[in-house]
Amino acid sequence: MSLERSDDHDHDAWMEQKNLTPIEGVYLTVLLWLDKRLRVVDYLEVLENLYYKVNLQMPKSHTEQYNLDNKFWYWYPLYALGSFSTIAYVVAAISGALLGFYYSPAAAAGACTIDGASVAYCSLTAIMTDINFGFMLRSIHRWSAQVMTAAVFLHMLRVYFTGSYKEPRELNWILGIVLISLTMVFGYTGYLLTWDQLAYWAGQIGVEMSLSIPLIGEWVAQLIFGGFSLGQATLMRMYILHVFFLPFVVTALIAVHIGIVWMQGIAEPH
Amino acid sequence: MTRDNSTDADESSGTDTGEGVAADGTGIVAPDDETPTWGERKERTQGLSRLTYEYFERSRREDQELRNDSSYVERDVLAFPTWPHEMVRNLALTSFFVGLIIFLSATLPPHLGAPANPSQTPAIILPDWYLYWSFGLLKLGPLNPELAVLGGSKLLQDSTYGVLANLVVVGFIAIVPFLNKGSARRPVEQPFWSAVGVFGVVFAAMISTLAIKNLTPTWIDPHLLFDLTFFLPFVAGFITYGILRAMREGYMFDLNRRYYRLRPPR
Repeated sequence: MSLERSDDHDHDAWMEQKNLTPIEGVYLTVLLWLDKRLRVVDYLEVLENLYYKVNLQMPKSHTEQYNLDNKFWYWYPLYALGSFSTIAYVVAAISGALLGFYYSPAAAAGACTIDGASVAYCSLTAIMTDINFGFMLRSIHRWSAQVMTAAVFLHMLRVYFTGSYKEPRELNWILGIVLISLTMVFGYTGYLLTWDQLAYWAGQIGVEMSLSIPLIGEWVAQLIFGGFSLGQATLMRMYILHVFFLPFVVTALIAVHIGIVWMQGIAEPH
Repeated sequence: MTRDNSTDADESSGTDTGEGVAADGTGIVAPDDETPTWGERKERTQGLSRLTYEYFERSRREDQELRNDSSYVERDVLAFPTWPHEMVRNLALTSFFVGLIIFLSATLPPHLGAPANPSQTPAIILPDWYLYWSFGLLKLGPLNPELAVLGGSKLLQDSTYGVLANLVVVGFIAIVPFLNKGSARRPVEQPFWSAVGVFGVVFAAMISTLAIKNLTPTWIDPHLLFDLTFFLPFVAGFITYGILRAMREGYMFDLNRRYYRLRPPR
């Protein structure tokens, strides 16, 4: 009787008799260690599946099957717009996370030498003038956002003019409308974060727009802008929408949008 | 190996392992032989779950029949493999595109205006360019009807009217798939809806110009610009419709000629 648990299957002896090379030995030891705790074998099938997916042969597309390339080649670049907007979104996410290290969303008077500057504005000038590659970082963030919005607009036009929204893709079209709207909200909230004159007065228009909605206008203005005049609450809300709320929502929706395209297949030109 | 292990453990540790123990190693003991299987449970359920189950069974059968009837033959190699061919191409395109963004940001750095000042309204108030259309729709006041019933006053405030116009535009775009049905894909196959699309694009461009009219050259009269905003989209739409209809004639002629070459009329 020993307190040590017995190795029922004696994996060690099995490994001994296998005459393994050091690499194989380390690999098996790690695998056994992980498997004992996480039961990896139960998920091996998933890995196997993935392995075969990587080596998948793409089936011949409609255009290849009917040799229509000579007719439609000029449409093809337009079919890349969806992935271009996704790539731009990823670039914006990375540069945005880096910018987030240095930006502080406060409307109180800032410590920099500029007259009437807020803390937010001062952190922006610090990013642009004090930090190595800070100006480039902001530039990349802004341009990737612009490019994403442009690509999303053009993507919508492509889908419209090639009739790709028709059955069975209606739901994905509506999801796309939601996504393009959220992209513009993303842009708008980011536009306000600089807290310069343009940002402030664009925010003012936003408040007036929400106030002019019948019945629920005041409630909407309170919810989104944190009041009827712009201030610390507005900036904070824009910041949280821009760096917390929207990234989760938009990323999830993009995943669903692309997942549906994957399931239904690309609507090829006919 | 793992299966053996668990059954061994069951047999050695269990005190009263009768026939009731499932042989699949789960160790779940059914109360008696009358206990329904999961399949039977599904069949017996009522209401919505029952309906769902029946529909899934039907669609599965439909799929099976389609598969049986199809003449599709799977070939060994249909096209390029995903790895490396497709992946390398995608990576090249991605890097080129990211490079383009970096090039743009290096050559055209962004602007940062004067700090926010609530007491001084600037001459130019603008959202980012992609919101110009929405900004322009807020300036539709002159189109807001003055109703005679209400003694010449407006039913909606001009600002409410503008916000409503936004909703109407987005709502219309959202229901397009339910208005335009059928299998037509190319613009030439659907001149009307392509014309609607061109109308929309030109309208978006014009309403954006209207939104920034204080930046446009002074030789355009604001009233003329306002009229053009609603006139040009129709012109563009009609021209598109005409061109595509004319193209469709030729297109159909081509298709028919090909068809009759393949199957000459008797």
